[in-house]
Amino acid sequence: MYNSVKKYLKVLVLATAAQGLFATAAYAQDPGHYGLGRIATEEEVAGWDIDVRPDGLGLPDGSGSVSVGEGLYEAQCASCHGLFGEGEGRWPVLAGGEGTLTDDRPQKTVGSYWPYASTLWDYTRRAMPFTAPQSLSVDETYAITAYVLYLNELVEEDFVLTKENFLTVKMPNAEGFFEDDRPDVKNTACMKDCKDPASIKVISTIAGVSPTEHLEEKGAEESEAAEPGNVHGKAIYKQSCAVCHDHGVAGAPKTGDNEIWADRLVPGMEAVVERAISGYTGEDGVMPPKGGNMSLSDEDVTAAVHYMVEQSQ
Amino acid sequence: MKIKAKMKRDMAVIKVLAKHPMETGLRKDKKTDKIIPAKFIKELVCKHGDKVVFHADFGRSVSKNPYVSFSFAGAQKGETVSMTWTDNTDETVTVEAPIK
Repeated sequence: MYNSVKKYLKVLVLATAAQGLFATAAYAQDPGHYGLGRIATEEEVAGWDIDVRPDGLGLPDGSGSVSVGEGLYEAQCASCHGLFGEGEGRWPVLAGGEGTLTDDRPQKTVGSYWPYASTLWDYTRRAMPFTAPQSLSVDETYAITAYVLYLNELVEEDFVLTKENFLTVKMPNAEGFFEDDRPDVKNTACMKDCKDPASIKVISTIAGVSPTEHLEEKGAEESEAAEPGNVHGKAIYKQSCAVCHDHGVAGAPKTGDNEIWADRLVPGMEAVVERAISGYTGEDGVMPPKGGNMSLSDEDVTAAVHYMVEQSQ
Repeated sequence: MKIKAKMKRDMAVIKVLAKHPMETGLRKDKKTDKIIPAKFIKELVCKHGDKVVFHADFGRSVSKNPYVSFSFAGAQKGETVSMTWTDNTDETVTVEAPIK
C-alpha cells in the first residue's frame, strides 16, 4: 500500500514538473517569474509614454502657429469650447476668468488658473478632440496650444509655438500654487516618545486581525507577577460576559458590586465557575452556559470568572 | 474685444466677444457692504467702411463679457469691419478686424 502511494506520488510530481517546464519555456524567458504575461514592446511603451512635463520634458520636435491653430480650433474645438474659448453650454471654458479665483464663483481657465502650458499641450494631445482623442498630429497640437494661449492673451497673434520656445510662455497663475502645509499631511508628532512595542500586548481583536484594545504592561517582571488569568480573563470578559455583567442584565451579578458577589460566592469559587460553564437558572437570574458563547473553553470561562470576582472584592 | 468676421456665401458673419464687467450698479460688495458702481456698455456699433451695419443699445441687464453675433450683406472678403463700444462712464474701445 505504502509503496503504491509513493509511486503514484512520484508520477504526479514528475507530471507537474514537466507541465511547469513546458509553461515556463512557452511563456517567459525569465525563470524568476511565474510565466504570466510578456514584456511590453518598445512601440507599446512609446504609445503610453507621451506625457509632457512642466519643464518641457517629453515635448516632441515640432511647431505650430496661432494662425494655423485658429483654423484647427474653429474646425475641431469651437463647437464645444466656443469660438472665443468662452465655452458652449456647459462645456469647459478655456479663456477669460482672470482675477476670479477668489470670487464666489471662480472661473478656472487656462489663463486664469493653469500653472503650466505643458498641461495644455499634454491634455490636448492625450484627450482631445473629445470624439477622436489622439487624432491630432504633433504640429497640430502645437498650433492649437498656441491658439488657446492666444485666446488667453498670453501670446501675440503672430506667435509660433515650438519645442524650443515652449518654456518662454509665462502662465499668469504659475505662482498661485503652493505645497499643502496643513498639519494632517506633515504630522511628525506621533514619531516622538513612542511606546516600546514590546510593552504592548493586543488583548482583543476584530476577526483576529485589527486590534481593538491595547494593554500596556509596565515591565516584564510586573506582568509575570500579576495573576496570569487576569489579562486573558479580562479579554474573555469584555468579549462574552460584559454585555450582561457590566449592567446586571437578566439578573446577572454586576461586576464590581461587592455585596451581590459575596452572596454568590457563598457556595464557593468552584461552584460559581461550574455554574458559569454549565449554565444556571434560578429565581435570582439566568446564566446561559459559557455566557452563550460555546466557542469558549472551560479554561476561558474560568479565567473570566476569576477576573470578575477579582473586580468585585 | 475679439472679433471674428467671415464671409458665408454673400453674407459677412460677425461674431464679437466684448470684454466688459457689465456691473449693474445694483450689486453690493459683500465685504464692504457698499454698492459696486455701475459700469455697463450702453452702445455697441459695427461699421463697414463708414456705413453703420449694426447698432445695439445695451443696458444693465446684459451679462458680463457680452457675446454678439450678426450678419450683413454687401461686404467683400479682405475688407475690414470696426466694432466700437461705449459704456456709461463714456469709456470707449474700438477694434478692427479683416473679413476672411
